[in-house]
Amino acid sequence: MTLLKREEWQHLVRDVDWTYSYVDDEAVYPEWLSGTGKVPRAAWRTWEEDYKVSYPEYVSTQREKETAAYAVKAALQRSNAFDELSEGWKSSTKMHYGGVALVEFEAVLGELKMARFGLNPAWRNMAAFGALDEIRHAQITMFFGHEFVGRDPQYDWTQKMFHTNDWVAISLRSLFDSMMVTNNVVDLAIQLPLTFETGFTNLQFVALSADALESGDVNFANMISSIQTDEARHAQQGGPTLEILVEHDPVRAQWVIDKAFWGSARAFAALTGPAMDYYTPVEHRKQSYREFMEEWIIDQFIRTIEDYGLRRPWFWDEFMKGLDTWHHALHMGLWFWRPTIWWRPTAAVTKADREWLQEKYPNWEAVYGDKWDVIIDAVNAGNVEATLPETLPWLCSLCHLPCCNATLGRDGRWRVRDHSLTHNGVTYHFCTNGCRQIWWKDKDTLNSPTVIDRFLAGEIQPMDVGGILNYMGLTPDVMGDDPDYAWAAEYRDRVTTTPLQVAGGAQA
Amino acid sequence: MSESVTDAAEPQLVPVNAIFHTDFVQILVPVTTADTIAEVAEKVAYHVEGRRVHKQDAPKVVFHGGRRLDPRLTVADAGIGPLDHVRVEYDV
Repeated sequence: MTLLKREEWQHLVRDVDWTYSYVDDEAVYPEWLSGTGKVPRAAWRTWEEDYKVSYPEYVSTQREKETAAYAVKAALQRSNAFDELSEGWKSSTKMHYGGVALVEFEAVLGELKMARFGLNPAWRNMAAFGALDEIRHAQITMFFGHEFVGRDPQYDWTQKMFHTNDWVAISLRSLFDSMMVTNNVVDLAIQLPLTFETGFTNLQFVALSADALESGDVNFANMISSIQTDEARHAQQGGPTLEILVEHDPVRAQWVIDKAFWGSARAFAALTGPAMDYYTPVEHRKQSYREFMEEWIIDQFIRTIEDYGLRRPWFWDEFMKGLDTWHHALHMGLWFWRPTIWWRPTAAVTKADREWLQEKYPNWEAVYGDKWDVIIDAVNAGNVEATLPETLPWLCSLCHLPCCNATLGRDGRWRVRDHSLTHNGVTYHFCTNGCRQIWWKDKDTLNSPTVIDRFLAGEIQPMDVGGILNYMGLTPDVMGDDPDYAWAAEYRDRVTTTPLQVAGGAQA
Repeated sequence: MSESVTDAAEPQLVPVNAIFHTDFVQILVPVTTADTIAEVAEKVAYHVEGRRVHKQDAPKVVFHGGRRLDPRLTVADAGIGPLDHVRVEYDV
């Protein structure tokens, strides 16, 4: 018997659907899960993916990827490659494993939701492949991270992190729950596959892969490159969904894409920004975080939304200015509150680092240099105590990251400013105008108290640093510290005088 | 009459959202209704001066709701409530 070619039969099966006779459509695709909204139900019949795949093709391709990824891992396991890696780079990988492994699992749930409640059968088929992809990603990330647990207990947070009440875990759960768990599948397809996977994962999985190779971590680069090859296929669920939504409800499309972009940008500033501009040794950095963002995210995002007839988000100016500040402040916060994280953050402010930072970010010294100088003086005076926290940073009620974004005022001063609002008698604080605006519009669907809220409500006992660390699940063998503090020694001859502040934030 | 009752009451805890001068992050600082504004400034400064901001030989001033506060007022008198934002600056 001669087998038909795929193109001769696939059009018959890729969107085979049921005609219901015993139940109505709303019973099978309830609005709160399927989310058609103002889009007529019939409009979803035109949904079509660009890149088609059959199940045998899928299995064959995935088998090859898996074989290749694990073969490289097995070969490197016998080498001493891990021991040669810098502490800074290892921190990037610990942050990645803990921050990503169970988000991949959460994505399995998101894909399965689309596989069940997607409004077109072809979409549901694509999502079924997507769920298989995400199972692979959760497994491979967990497996690669697990290899190092015996050498360093911080890698145990690959699996543990997402189950804790660490502030990073709360922040990531809050973001990804809103993208994958609490929303309907139309919003999900636009937030996760289109905005997050088409754009931001490129940064973590392609751009960071370049830094991994430069840093000598072939194993990590191999893993994340293998994962990224799946993204392009299942990420395409976003395009056809957005196309239909824009036609019938452009206001909703704009809002959903805007807030997913904003939330992703905040999370990447916290995790990818420090990994690229600080934890990757300066001699191995390919580009700055800002340059990666411009090349991999911004151009492509603007092209995408313009192709669909959407506008730049209302927060665009604030976001673009934040490329010069958000991740620098978050890095300083991660370092200062280092007992609350599961990696060893390098300060990465040697003279060579600072020269690089100043070249890439011309305001870096004006905004952050003086604070690092104070920290350096304390380290060199043997007063490490002064570089450790005795209270909590205030956490944003939307993104759950510290409120630490300085802006340049009309008076020429860089200051962290108050972005708050009072609702039903309670005052909420935000890191930015963008977070405040999204919270205000979504407030009825949000229920995720920050660590500050929990602390003030008496949920964390005893109410001291020890109680907080215990609440977050940090044990002494895991909690972060600077790898050696030796980096500060080159500043011992620094003249410690108070710099004069002049207009524009420069120092004299 | 009600004033004397308030004065006689135990000081209440007032957790505030505070920023000190050029520091890079807002922090949680617990003060009490009985603290003077000068004491509030020092409680905020404790977490920042010599830790991330150079200590300056200058008096400190507290801003709340756009107003510069008299350092002799108490937190209660100044109307600072729980979760309010306060800014502490060097008065230079």
